Amino acid sequence: MRLSYQPPTMPIAEFLKVEAVTPAMSATTKPEVLHELARALARAWPEVSVERFLHVLEEREKLGSTGMEKGVAIPHGRLAELPTLIACFGVSREGVDFEARDGRPSQFFFALVAPENSAGLHLKALSRLSRLFRSDALKENILSAGDAATVHALLLQEDAKA
Amino acid sequence: MNEPIATAGVMTLVGVLLAISVLFSRAAGRAGLPLAFVFVLVGMLAGTDGVGKLAFDDYALSFRLGTVALVIILFDGGLNTTLTSVRAGLAPATVLATLGVVLMAGAMGGAAHLLGLPWPQALLLGAIVSSTDAAAVFAVLRGSGLHLKQRVGVTLELESGLNDPMAVILTMALTQLVATGEAPTWRLGLDVLVQLGVGLAAGLGFGWLGQVVLRRARLPAAGLYPVLTLSLAAVAFGVPTLFNGSGFLAVYVAGALVGHETGRYRTGLLRVHDAMAWLSQVGMFLLLGLLATPSRLPAVANLGLGLGFVAALVVRPLVVWLCLVPFRFSMKERAYLGFVGLRGAVPIVLATFPVLAGAPGAQGLFDAVFFIVLVNAFVPGAFVGGLTRRLGLQTSAPPPPPAVMELTSTHILDGDVMSFFVRPQSAVAGATLAELGLPETSVVTLIMREGRLLAPRGNTRLEPGDYVSVFAPKENVSELHLLFGDAQGD
Repeated sequence: MRLSYQPPTMPIAEFLKVEAVTPAMSATTKPEVLHELARALARAWPEVSVERFLHVLEEREKLGSTGMEKGVAIPHGRLAELPTLIACFGVSREGVDFEARDGRPSQFFFALVAPENSAGLHLKALSRLSRLFRSDALKENILSAGDAATVHALLLQEDAKA
Repeated sequence: MNEPIATAGVMTLVGVLLAISVLFSRAAGRAGLPLAFVFVLVGMLAGTDGVGKLAFDDYALSFRLGTVALVIILFDGGLNTTLTSVRAGLAPATVLATLGVVLMAGAMGGAAHLLGLPWPQALLLGAIVSSTDAAAVFAVLRGSGLHLKQRVGVTLELESGLNDPMAVILTMALTQLVATGEAPTWRLGLDVLVQLGVGLAAGLGFGWLGQVVLRRARLPAAGLYPVLTLSLAAVAFGVPTLFNGSGFLAVYVAGALVGHETGRYRTGLLRVHDAMAWLSQVGMFLLLGLLATPSRLPAVANLGLGLGFVAALVVRPLVVWLCLVPFRFSMKERAYLGFVGLRGAVPIVLATFPVLAGAPGAQGLFDAVFFIVLVNAFVPGAFVGGLTRRLGLQTSAPPPPPAVMELTSTHILDGDVMSFFVRPQSAVAGATLAELGLPETSVVTLIMREGRLLAPRGNTRLEPGDYVSVFAPKENVSELHLLFGDAQGD
């Protein structure tokens, strides 16, 4: 049997606001990273509390770290009270031990929280993101960019190539 | 006795003892008794003063069997060590396996001296019981369905693989001291370095050789691959040992390299080694039970039990706490690592060294080691499950799937079938297969729901509680982990 492969459809521009980009995170441990990301998500969507976002991200981490290879982590989850996909992006200059698969420190954190009944949307966004960050050039450019607006623009630009 | 009667008798006995031990293991698990304890008990019951009246006191044979068992256990440990775990836990594990072993040996020696042993014997006893055996811990954890958080589990696992060489070297040197009266000089320090260096080099060399051979070899039957890896383990132990290197370190390192090459793609091979390692564990504890002479034990009971509790409750926690100062572990994690220092097969093998060397008082040491190992298998073993839960150090591992799909192959493939358990918080929960958007090179091959097998179709919806088998080439593995969470057996 073969499943038809559907290319992801929702561009990052539709769910990542520039206000939700942190070009230099202060967190130095995994719990701190999750806190910082939850705060950024709550800034992007103030109707939901920091604690709710934090809880949903922590629950997912219990299944195994969302830290992938080469410094990229994509913490995620679903929340009933969200009407749409919410995301934030943070960069840690020093890197944080996020229990990544390859054991290396994680530097690029893209957190994603989707509405409860939107498994398809959620999954497509995850796949799209995990492929986006295969580009080493993107990561280098993000590290050399100084402000949130530039980082945001770089992400959208790379995403548009997909 | 004439052959084949003698051989038949030995085979029958060994078979019956092993079978009883293994069959009792389930009942012991239910009663919360550590497995090691049961195996020792069966051995004692069969032994000199038990119902079996077997007068077994062949220390030379025990040493040989023990060494073989240890090599098999260490090689299996190496095979199951993932690169991820090496990166995450190597630094703390190395400190625990070197400095930690020396401190443990020294402190236990001090405690033994306080309890009345002369210094040389006291230090020798300390060295014998200075290394841990995580195989025992993991047996308990697996039995209770707990998975340790990555860094803690990995550190325990690596420590137990790496610390045996140090304990062996110390025991050899101190045995010589006790047997001949020759005090070890500064050369001992040098010797330790040489042994570890040669062992590491040999391990890397044989591991690399194993990778090359496994990659190239086309054997006519799948069953021949484990024979190849077992022979590699034997050579990786034997050669460095002949050249003043630590064969135990070499065999563990070689196993880790070979395991990385065959990775997850050689389920059959890993299963054979797993079975061999279990046989070795059971065999070692049975042997300990057989060698022990209960009527002789009361003489050293106070010393042995005292030292056993000192090791489990005082020395090990302190040594671990000291060794982990430079590393970022939480208080809970430090306490846990300190408590879970199970002693297993290694001290039993090591305790036969002095007996074989004819060191004075060696028999008494062996009897004391019997108690120390028993206490240090029993105390942490009985509480480790509850403690893991209380300290919140487990990741909630799903129950094992009712069936597993796997690839069987005589060739090395660059892809495998991975098994995932769907949790409510997993991204795939509630999605249809068509919505998964898997990369074109991957496909869901089978779904198990409530014990039934489902054929995966595009409109099949994944539900929490499902077991999903996915075919994945290497490059898709990290994306699948992101979508599903950890795979079974990770």
